Amino acid sequence: MVAPVTFTELHPRPAAPVDWGKLAARARSLRRAKAVVLYAFLISVSLPIILPYFWLVTIALSARTGVADTVVLWRSMAVLAPAVIAFWLAAMLARNRRQLWLGLTAIGVVATAAFAWLVGPDLHLRNFIFLVEPDFASVVRSRVGAVHGAVQFPSVWRAFGNSLLIAGSQTAIVLTVASLAAYYLSRFQFPARAAMLRSLLVLHAFPVLTLIVPMFLMLYWIGLLDTLSGVILVLVAFELPFAIFIMKGFFDAVPWDIEMSALTDGASRRQAFLRVVLPQVRNGLLAVAVFTFIRGWEEYIFVFTFLIRNTNWTMSLYMYYVRDDVMGVDYGVVSAVGVFYLVPSLILYLAAQRYLMQMSIGGVKG
Amino acid sequence: MAKVEFRHVAKRFGDLEVIPDLSLTIEDGEFVALLGPSGCGKSTSLFMLAGIYLPSGGELLFDGSVVNEVEAKDRNVGIVFQSYALYPHMTVRDNVLFPLRFKRMPRAEALGRVIAAANLVQVEELLDRRPSELSGGQQQRVALARALVKEPQLLLLDEPLSNLDATLRLIMRTEIKSLQKKLGVTTVLVTHDQIEATTMADRIICMRAGRIEQIGTPDDLYRRPQSLFIAGFIGSPPINVVSGDAREGEVCIGSVAFPFAGAPGAVTIGLRPEHLRFTDSGLSGRIAQIEPMGREILYVVDTDAGYFRVLEHGSVAAHGVGEPVNIGFSPDDSLVFDAASQRLLAATRVGPPT
Repeated sequence: MVAPVTFTELHPRPAAPVDWGKLAARARSLRRAKAVVLYAFLISVSLPIILPYFWLVTIALSARTGVADTVVLWRSMAVLAPAVIAFWLAAMLARNRRQLWLGLTAIGVVATAAFAWLVGPDLHLRNFIFLVEPDFASVVRSRVGAVHGAVQFPSVWRAFGNSLLIAGSQTAIVLTVASLAAYYLSRFQFPARAAMLRSLLVLHAFPVLTLIVPMFLMLYWIGLLDTLSGVILVLVAFELPFAIFIMKGFFDAVPWDIEMSALTDGASRRQAFLRVVLPQVRNGLLAVAVFTFIRGWEEYIFVFTFLIRNTNWTMSLYMYYVRDDVMGVDYGVVSAVGVFYLVPSLILYLAAQRYLMQMSIGGVKG
Repeated sequence: MAKVEFRHVAKRFGDLEVIPDLSLTIEDGEFVALLGPSGCGKSTSLFMLAGIYLPSGGELLFDGSVVNEVEAKDRNVGIVFQSYALYPHMTVRDNVLFPLRFKRMPRAEALGRVIAAANLVQVEELLDRRPSELSGGQQQRVALARALVKEPQLLLLDEPLSNLDATLRLIMRTEIKSLQKKLGVTTVLVTHDQIEATTMADRIICMRAGRIEQIGTPDDLYRRPQSLFIAGFIGSPPINVVSGDAREGEVCIGSVAFPFAGAPGAVTIGLRPEHLRFTDSGLSGRIAQIEPMGREILYVVDTDAGYFRVLEHGSVAAHGVGEPVNIGFSPDDSLVFDAASQRLLAATRVGPPT
């Protein structure tokens, strides 16, 4: 016969009182250690992303014709890397908002001063000569002796305008067609609706490059080869499926009640769509617009294949030929063109990021 | 204001027949409730009235003219949705103004009407707010104002109170009813809540599986439910239902025989909790549970014919759990249904307990 064991015998009270302070201190230091590891990881993955852009800007503003000099880059690195690490540390160690702002401001001031002292004297704007001088290639080459550029460049503003035109009209067409098509797919039942939705996704799955030869032939036959409208049509065709799919998700999220209400309130189907439904999917429209615009802005393959005359060049082609022509002589100019090419995308992203973050709310569902 | 008529209206969605054949007349200025469980076709009927669904068959008439094909925007119908369906991107003023935008009306006059409608439902201080900044009750009022601003000939309310809390529901119930009487607008209320229907409507149309089960005043439905379904649907706490075997002159409920005047056969007997009393004779059982409800006390009595609910006035329980009791009732309050068809045997009564 085993003697019954009571609960308190199995769980005796601890002899010594628990040292809560010690436990708390241990938890605190553990939390801190984890944070340090996390920040170290974030720094190590974000530096390779930040650095190329930083270098691009630095080179564009400091490189000199005919001189291969990387000292400036190392100096700028010597300022940037400690600054980034210091920012992370400040964000981690600050105990309140005021300390955080003080720390960040101090680091910012020190970094700016160091930058001005180490890199400042080397900065200049001469690499941006292409903005005012269409034949900049000859000018650049004349600085090192060989005068004639191989490529006849149009004005960069022409290329800029072409890119703007392509990206802008592509966005306008995609937005109009996608919102109408997505609304129809979301609201109306018709034969083969499910099959159509599936094919929308499949269409997006293939690499578009595979279609470049048939596309070339088609454009040639309908006489739109080497025209901006030809490229716009091709880009629209490839961008539409995904845009429709995204927009359908946003339309699905708009309750039917609101539309029915608009109809009984005396609106026609079209008025209900324009005045009541469309405002509800504004964020979706903005997101699709930004992505489509940037897609058109960065387009390279199709413009390279379908556009021939230099008056039809877009920014990506301009960039390509600048690199082709003067890279060996002056990589500063190449970088400067890169910076100029980058700025509109950057501005657009910054302006619209608030809406892009909400993409997931509209959601994607079949 | 309009008289509304359904003539053999049917509605099918593909192979699904929601409403087989509906005929119904709603008089000018009447407040009618379409009552039934979800999926019984009441909302479908409402949307056909609004012009959102096209009837698959039959005729729908407003003031004697067929409106089957008339578009929603031309029907001059105001509707309040369960979700209120306010336009989230517009202020309250623009929401209420919206129906007037399609009626070539001078802006000053339209704005005047918006203010009048807002006054009617007491939301005039909220005109510059957005729907997201309003409480549920306020949204409900704005939805009412928007439905009423165009002076509709027909007002449709789709479960208007189901998203409100209990107190607000009581207030809005009273307000909607008095508003309807004041404006005299023909109103159709769709609800699955029998209390909402009985308290607000002049006439209730009880629906089940796309068919009309019974039409009548709230009192008709309570006193003379034509079927067991309605007897169970109307009244709270719900009616006690017990099956009995009727022979010549008597019917057995459990082991007790009651006097019975009617044809022999299987019957189902309905007895409302508020019509049952504790007596010296009758159905015997023990009190299984006591549920105080404030003004009344609900006793759950365990008998050999099953559980019976008995509602007694007073706030102090006169009996304790486990106490043996006898349940009695007046023959006028007994409802006898045919067990097979579940229809009311109108002239048949179960006699007083002996």
